Amino acid sequence: MGRYTARRCLLAVVQCLVVLVAVFALGTLLPGDTAGVLLAEQGTPEQVAALRERLGLDRPAPDRFGDWLGGLLTGDLGRSLLTNVPVAAELGRRLTDTLVLAAPAFVLVVTLAPLLGVVTGLREGTRLDRLLNAAAVLLHAVPEFVLGLLMIASLSLATGLLPATAVGLNGTALLAQPAVLVMPVAVLAARQLCDLARQIRAGVAAQRDAPLAEHLRLLGMRERTVVLRHVVPNALGPAAQQFARCVEGLLGGAVLVEALFGVQGLGTGFVEAVQNRDVPLVQAYALLFAGTAVAVHLAGDLVSHRLAPRREVTA
Amino acid sequence: MNRPVQVPDDLARGIGRRGLLTGMGAIAAAGLLGGCGSGGGDGARRFRAAFAAGGSQETMDPHVAPNFVDQVRAKAMFDTLATFGDDMSIRPRLAESWESDASGKRWRVRLREARFHDGAPVTAEDVLFTYRRVADPGTGSPSQQLMSAVDFAASGASGPRELTLVLKEADFGFPRALAGVGTEVLPTGTTSFRNPVGSGPFRFGSFTPGGPALFKRWDGHWDTVPRVAELEIVPANEEAARVNALLSGQVHYAADLAGAAVNRLKGEKSARLLSAPRATAQQILLSRGREPFSDLRLVEAFQLGIDRAALARIALAGQGEPGNDLFGKGLDGYPADLPPRERDADRARALVREAGADGLEVPLQTSTLDAAWEPAAALIARQLGEIGLKVVPHTLAAPTYFSEMKERRSVAAFNTTSTLPVTTFLEQRLRGGAARNLTGFASGEFDELLDRARTTRDDAARAELLHRAQRIARDESGLVVWGFSDANDAISADVRGLRAAPPNSHDWARFDRVALG
Repeated sequence: MGRYTARRCLLAVVQCLVVLVAVFALGTLLPGDTAGVLLAEQGTPEQVAALRERLGLDRPAPDRFGDWLGGLLTGDLGRSLLTNVPVAAELGRRLTDTLVLAAPAFVLVVTLAPLLGVVTGLREGTRLDRLLNAAAVLLHAVPEFVLGLLMIASLSLATGLLPATAVGLNGTALLAQPAVLVMPVAVLAARQLCDLARQIRAGVAAQRDAPLAEHLRLLGMRERTVVLRHVVPNALGPAAQQFARCVEGLLGGAVLVEALFGVQGLGTGFVEAVQNRDVPLVQAYALLFAGTAVAVHLAGDLVSHRLAPRREVTA
Repeated sequence: MNRPVQVPDDLARGIGRRGLLTGMGAIAAAGLLGGCGSGGGDGARRFRAAFAAGGSQETMDPHVAPNFVDQVRAKAMFDTLATFGDDMSIRPRLAESWESDASGKRWRVRLREARFHDGAPVTAEDVLFTYRRVADPGTGSPSQQLMSAVDFAASGASGPRELTLVLKEADFGFPRALAGVGTEVLPTGTTSFRNPVGSGPFRFGSFTPGGPALFKRWDGHWDTVPRVAELEIVPANEEAARVNALLSGQVHYAADLAGAAVNRLKGEKSARLLSAPRATAQQILLSRGREPFSDLRLVEAFQLGIDRAALARIALAGQGEPGNDLFGKGLDGYPADLPPRERDADRARALVREAGADGLEVPLQTSTLDAAWEPAAALIARQLGEIGLKVVPHTLAAPTYFSEMKERRSVAAFNTTSTLPVTTFLEQRLRGGAARNLTGFASGEFDELLDRARTTRDDAARAELLHRAQRIARDESGLVVWGFSDANDAISADVRGLRAAPPNSHDWARFDRVALG
């Protein structure tokens, strides 16, 4: 287990590094740079050149990447090219908004999904199962954007039950008015919830009828014990990786939800940074997203390794 | 989504990349939002307006104001010496009067009595400090060129409320500079904008770059004491978010709406559209400096080959009108007497053939920057196909559209310009060698007419010279103004005191006159 953990951790660092290099390279290959974005229509070639020099964009790409990496090792993420605001501050501000959305969504997903998955998995084929499964498929089939628009139209504009957007609210102000969070959190959680519940359901259903369970039942073990000690843990093992993907999905899937509801989180921030060619900011977002993805997958692997050690063979 | 930085004085681009409450079903929702629902009387309320933000590229420095939203914040907190009417004529503001001597080089300006938010009077020294700062290239003001015309060594204050600005060259059109975006008056010595002080109708409350800005009514304003207690400018980059926030009563004003949102709001009782007609000039820049449009016959073929009525109907979705290859329809100084350019496919085809360009491929740079461009590009390709030109649209990314378009030295490219004084446009975009002359048009005759206009004191004679210059530009500059699109904002039905006005004009987004309920 120790060797497995160490190997996975090392791999995780390498994965992050690869992502950073790739993002930097892609960012450099994109046409245009921050100087062009800043000056837009009004820049003369001389002004653009002067601004490029001031921002350090005239230096070779490997140098710039090296500097950025060097700064990173000392904990310095640099400053936004566009605003000169420290990258860490900008990231922190946006992370707060995203966490305010993603944390409740995550709690919703990790409590409801196993519940629904186990309940439907044990009752596979019953009316309840078919009903819930149909609902999950339906919800999954509706794009998040459409789901959001439908909710806004019905719950806000038509009936006035909930505020339509979070426009103008940031960070703790969002928390102070939880009503604005209801729809974005619901939209954000919906797809992950469906995915995860259906996966757990399939696992539970398969384990319920697996030879091991049948064998234990034949040995006279009580059904309750069979389910709780064997069926559920064996079904949740593979789902641990789906949990990890769910965290990733909540962070990444936030782009649409944030845009639709006017939340200033990481998703929209990342898109803006790329559009503005704000390389230090893009790199920081890439690091954050890659780091999170790698970390949760690592955790997922370790957990499922623990729940079902024989999977190491394939890890 | 994040509109990219905009050119300061062309704010109309949708880019970047822009009432609530009263709305019927909206009242319940308003109760959930502290900012809106509370407050009894008219004057006690907070007015909230949603704009597309420039992300975090934002500052409270009024001299660096690239986006619409920056301009709105500057308007709330600061004053300029003069301002623009809807037709871009100049009206006094902090300046009571101005007059030049016979040479057009010495301008005497008298200020009205006004105070900054800290109680200090607005003085001639403050104006000089401000204009020096604007003229400093290090400040990066969109109005830098306007103020760099001033010889500050020779200029000076002759009293607390009187100053003389001496220009390096005669210019009887100089008062335009006094109204320019990015020339807002600051107290002498201002270097920080963390807690800025101005002389405008609202005082500074708080501001987060990329986040909301809050202003408070200032009772000491010389002109208008706002009727609302607070003004909050909130960012909402998605148009759908702005519209939904308006319809649900979360904001009272949603800025910069296009096609679908406009049609949706037309049927709403809880909201009202403010449409400023012809606010944005829709153009195609044909590069006069290079093949193939260095051949004037092909420029004319392009102008005669496109069907402007169809473009206005389809690409502008009826929210606009055909252009006549000149900037500024309806503005002060526009030659309104010229006949409209009509499609003449036969003549256009003959010109193409005459130029030996039959079947010539013409790349046309476009982008999603403006909703009209892509449909217009498709239509133009079809229309010009009928006269023998093979137009191939190339779509570039919106935020980097201008830098890419310039770097690729496109031969044909879309552009838009918001409402500006006609003379400013001619000087900046069409004078030979001007920094923002993107077509490469260089006509000695045109430049000379501009020079003569500048040094002509008589208004009517100056207008005539500018009309002559514009007629030349219309045929030869390569700047094809195919249409004018409306600029749309929306307010909730209970908002009073606002009217439709073109961006960059005084009355646009003028929240000091707003009242609720």
